[in-house]
Amino acid sequence: MAEAARLVPVMAAAEQAEPPAEHAPGELTVGQLEALLFVAERPLSRREIATLAGVERAVVDAALGDLEVTLREHGLRLVTAGERVQLVTAPEAGALIARYVGADALRLSTAALETLAIVAYRQPVTRGVVERIRGVDSEYVLRTLVHRRLVVEQGRADTPGRPILYGTGFEFLERFGLTSLDDLPPLEPEAALRLDE
Amino acid sequence: MASAAVAISLDPAATASTRPEQATHVRLEGFEGPLALLLALIEQRQLDVLTVRLGDLAGAYLEAVARIEEGRLGLLSSFVAVCAQLILIKSRALLPRPPAADGGEAAAGEIDPEEELRQRLIEYRLYRDAGRLLGERLGARVTLFHREADTAAAAGHAGAIPDEAEPLDAALLADALLASLRLVPPAPPRPETVARTITLEERASAIRDALRQAPQFVLQELLSGVRDRIVVAVTFLALLELARGHEVVIEQGEPWGPIYVRPAEHAAGPR
Repeated sequence: MAEAARLVPVMAAAEQAEPPAEHAPGELTVGQLEALLFVAERPLSRREIATLAGVERAVVDAALGDLEVTLREHGLRLVTAGERVQLVTAPEAGALIARYVGADALRLSTAALETLAIVAYRQPVTRGVVERIRGVDSEYVLRTLVHRRLVVEQGRADTPGRPILYGTGFEFLERFGLTSLDDLPPLEPEAALRLDE
Repeated sequence: MASAAVAISLDPAATASTRPEQATHVRLEGFEGPLALLLALIEQRQLDVLTVRLGDLAGAYLEAVARIEEGRLGLLSSFVAVCAQLILIKSRALLPRPPAADGGEAAAGEIDPEEELRQRLIEYRLYRDAGRLLGERLGARVTLFHREADTAAAAGHAGAIPDEAEPLDAALLADALLASLRLVPPAPPRPETVARTITLEERASAIRDALRQAPQFVLQELLSGVRDRIVVAVTFLALLELARGHEVVIEQGEPWGPIYVRPAEHAAGPR
């Protein structure tokens, strides 16, 4: 606890960091990046990290790539959702950590799971598309998923009525043990092929 | 699998009668939508979505929809739409097709309702199965946890062992509590409050008092200073009680007008 308290001022100063200052070190080692993400209690954007370290975006991207490889042999993983990244525990530690924090297993109905699958694989997607695929009104189930933060609103479509676009966020990735959307198991290939025809 | 499809296609009407238990044993509660239901009917018969003649399932589907509980009638419209499509498919299969040459481009561009429904089923199945896979991941407890300020607190609630420090003596807590109590000046005694009760008897005597002072009174005037609605209501009740006991006579010329009250023995007297 005491250590965490001492770290707070450092974070506060870092968050206020303006565009790279003259004295900025202009370097970002994998170790520094790991340390930064370890302390951060929220997802950080790549741009934010670049500003903090006083380096180009490309340097951050490269360091993140290296860190991801380094972490593979450790109990931590890098979760990537679009622009933002966060350090998390590895999926194989999930049950252990769940016992430590007293987290209950998430239970979702069949309807919620299939709706979530549509959003995850088709995002960004409107409620209309979800309902066309499921063939049934999905307002309630979508609202429940948004409430549980498994589904997040991602702006509005440029179609008449400007319907809300839904996608998945960090909560979804973490709950399902995915470090990025690329981790999603591929859709059943035979059926996917037919759909593309 | 193929032979099963053929067997059914030979006589669609016989399907329900030859295998009634299969046709009826679909549990509807589990089906959130019409496509889920139709797909379950197909899979229950071990048929292939890609080849099954969908029109043959119209009977079994209608039967299942008919059993949807009344509480879920709100969902029914979406089921009925698929019913209609199945019946259309079935009827088209029964009718001879018009020669393609006559139709020309229109026939070519026309969407076959069976193929359209089949595509929807395939697409739905894709996501239903993906959802099942996601559900399995949930069951495997592969949650990724990130650091957050609340984690330590959550662990505390979950009963995680904090560290190996000696447990504190409970007496310390008791002493500290007593010490802090001495710091706080005693609170001033709370003003004693007595619940006010208004009785019919009390209000009846108020009415009698008023009648002793004057041969008659107007109820609204008697209550003019009273703001407590309970007092007003109980007084009115008391008045009715007195009238019932032939103690007083009540007169009111018009709705909302003044209510005159006078003793019963003066009933015949002038107003």
